[in-house]
Amino acid sequence: MSLKYFTIEERLNANAWDVDVHRPHIKIKDPERCKKCEKKPCTYMCPAKCYVQQGDYIVLSTEACVECGTCRVVCPHGNIEWNYPRSGMGIWYRFT
Amino acid sequence: MKYDVVVVGAGPAGLAAAYKLASAGFKVLVLERGREPGAKELYGGRIYAYWLDRFLPEFRKDAPVDRWVRKERVTLLTENKALTVESAVLEKERSSFVVPLVSFVSWMAKLAQNTGAKIVTEVTVDALVRDEKGRFVGVQSGSDMVQADFIIDAEGVNRLLLERAGIVKKLEPHYVAVGVKEVLKFENKKVLEERLGLDEDEGLAWAIAGYPTEYLPGGGFIYTYKDSLALGVVVYLKNWEKLRTPVYDLVERLRLHPYIASLVKGATLQEYGGHMTPVAGINMAPPRFYYDGLLIAGDAAGFLLHTGVLIRGVDFAIASGVLAAEAIKEAKSPSAEDLSVYEKKLRTSFILPQLEKFRGADKLLGDEALFKDLAVFSTEAAYRYFNIDDEHRTLLEAAREASKKTGISILKIMINMLRAVRSL
Repeated sequence: MSLKYFTIEERLNANAWDVDVHRPHIKIKDPERCKKCEKKPCTYMCPAKCYVQQGDYIVLSTEACVECGTCRVVCPHGNIEWNYPRSGMGIWYRFT
Repeated sequence: MKYDVVVVGAGPAGLAAAYKLASAGFKVLVLERGREPGAKELYGGRIYAYWLDRFLPEFRKDAPVDRWVRKERVTLLTENKALTVESAVLEKERSSFVVPLVSFVSWMAKLAQNTGAKIVTEVTVDALVRDEKGRFVGVQSGSDMVQADFIIDAEGVNRLLLERAGIVKKLEPHYVAVGVKEVLKFENKKVLEERLGLDEDEGLAWAIAGYPTEYLPGGGFIYTYKDSLALGVVVYLKNWEKLRTPVYDLVERLRLHPYIASLVKGATLQEYGGHMTPVAGINMAPPRFYYDGLLIAGDAAGFLLHTGVLIRGVDFAIASGVLAAEAIKEAKSPSAEDLSVYEKKLRTSFILPQLEKFRGADKLLGDEALFKDLAVFSTEAAYRYFNIDDEHRTLLEAAREASKKTGISILKIMINMLRAVRSL
């Protein structure tokens, strides 16, 4: 039995959401701090792969965020500022 | 603008409270940050009905139900072996059901609205507002503030508002797990029923331990909706260092496992999501459930009972919302003293006693060796028992061989089994 593997990007495309481009609801407080972070749990604990390592730094893109809050809890340096997206923005679950 | 009660969050807890209070004549406002009630909610897939009959009996009349669970399946899964136990009820059992949470919550929202509760969506509450004496008197959203005599915080597991108000500390990794889930839709309901061997309105709840989480605490699950199924994996945050597959690939990894792949072949992905779930139960409760002007219900209070295979969030949430409403109805004033009746109600109901009873479950379920040993050993022993070669083994011989092959002692397995049967 071989089924096709769907990348996370393909899977996230199934979802509906409104992107708040002007005011992302998550911010990395101090990017320099991520540089020194040894294990970078955000890069593999985020269900939507919002955190990607590029060189020493972490690039955060919040567009496809599913708003679980995991990143904030696993960040060993408390370096993530996490808010509920404002007024109706963000993920819109319809079938779960 | 002033209300008798402001509820934060149009989930099962908040809407249950709003419904009961509005029915009793209170002026109730529910604030929901999503586009519609349920837009930000994600759960495994099953609701237990027993306590709903006591706290929200209306659901039997017209609440949406996709399938009644009549098959409970538990599988220990490794890369190339599986051992499955199934418990089936052949009568028309109606004790738990599967339905998309957003559908159920949307039904609850209508129920609350029909009794006069006002639900406003697309409003994100930023803070609980206190007066100069420290009493909670309203909520703030951007530059707007809404005043109320009573506030019910049913904001969910992240409980940012409680944290900002200084009631709870920041969530710790050992309090929560993250669940990731795919909703896979079949061509029609017949296909799903044939694949999974289900009768027309019959549902399956399936817990899968071992492989889905790389043998770390947590597990996989399948729940059958009408013509789709929920496939998911829950993994404890405290084990993040040991996980090798990124969380965003965990469900795909399970979907592509040969034991699962043949069942979901051809199904299309309808939605993908992630959500945190409380796993520490009573151990992550706020110091109190009532404050001056404020009550806390649902996931925000840690009201979710998790014993491995059985996970109960929605019935706890709804019951806590109903009890919060009853407490407000009985309280002469919004003072913490008068609202303390809420805690009494939680204690005399099933909520706190059952959470207390399973206080130790969290520790056991978080035990890394437990599931790994059990999955690896049991699948190997079963394989050796069923496989005839030169030998035709007794069960004990099969177990001894499995123990030798896997390096897991039978005694250790038995001790762990004993721990499990006692506290789960």
